[in-house]
Amino acid sequence: MAEVKLAGMGEMVWTRGAGVLGCIGLGSCVGTLLFDPRTHTAALAHVMLPEAHDQDAFTLPGKYATTAVPALLRLLDVPPALASRLKAILVGGGELFQNRSQALRIGERNVEALHKLLSELRIGVVFEHTRGSSGRSFEFDVATGQIRVRAVGATAVVQDLSAALGILRRAA
Amino acid sequence: MTTALNELRTDALREIGNIGLGGAVTALSDLTGVLFTLEAPQVMQVDTSSLSSMCCVSPESLVVGTVSRVNGDWPGEGAFLFPWQSACVLWQILVQMSPGGLEELNELYQSVINEVSNIMLGNYLQAISQMTGFTLHMEPPAFAADMAMAVLSSILVEALYGQRELLAIETAFRTPEHEFRGYFLYLPETGNLEKLFGVLGI
Repeated sequence: MAEVKLAGMGEMVWTRGAGVLGCIGLGSCVGTLLFDPRTHTAALAHVMLPEAHDQDAFTLPGKYATTAVPALLRLLDVPPALASRLKAILVGGGELFQNRSQALRIGERNVEALHKLLSELRIGVVFEHTRGSSGRSFEFDVATGQIRVRAVGATAVVQDLSAALGILRRAA
Repeated sequence: MTTALNELRTDALREIGNIGLGGAVTALSDLTGVLFTLEAPQVMQVDTSSLSSMCCVSPESLVVGTVSRVNGDWPGEGAFLFPWQSACVLWQILVQMSPGGLEELNELYQSVINEVSNIMLGNYLQAISQMTGFTLHMEPPAFAADMAMAVLSSILVEALYGQRELLAIETAFRTPEHEFRGYFLYLPETGNLEKLFGVLGI
């Protein structure tokens, strides 16, 4: 695999045609990837919280679900009216601490918020590895449409999403 | 930041960390019969980019951690992180056995780590309470064992929720006898810092 462009917390990365995008050590955060089949471009945000409540929304739009989705659209240069051609991948949103007293359920709320935002834009989720109680890392190969999700103490999940993403197989 | 952190105030927070964890580590030494030493606490204003450099563990390595809510005059969250090998050292000392891997991590092992966290955080809060006269209560710890970055970010994101900045007092403790390192983080609600500084007269 080519070198991975990693999105750190609250960050966004993107690539066109080829390259690998990923996130390391997602707990309650959600790696939110949008793919545009028309331009073969992918953009990824490492979303930390469901909604914006501070200045960071301007400097670090990837941090919040509500600001990350529009920011990803801008990165892909796709207006909201045409967003339905995009495909989404969601990884993360786990609750690692099961019986936490101040149960804010950030992971669950991140996933819910993203689903709501994506469905409003009529963006279909083609792959999802979310919720549960484990942390995750993942890599997505933009050229082939293959995703690889790793969790501690579990076999890596590898899936070919090329058909779902409308990636045409080129002759090797 | 809502509360300006000048050098004096940073020093004061560091000193509080020292006194608090001094008490906590003494309690751990009493419990285990092993001498633990403290490293100088670091006071950090945490932002999302500095997160990955915290606690000096590689992001995907397995760690065991707890987090407890603290209520009262200096509310916040207290968290402990142990790299897996260090947690195994604690288990060996306290119950004379350790799990071969994550799949063998049963309730007994969890309760040992929870108890260690309870005792240490309890002593930490007691030391602070003696110095400041604050009333502090802690809730039972929540437990997780997972990738370091996932555990750390889950602790911090929740603490970050509803406040603009996050302050962390990080202290490492170790023992020369074993290959052991533990990390303690206190994440105070930043809005309540003035109260602490007021009591300390700075």
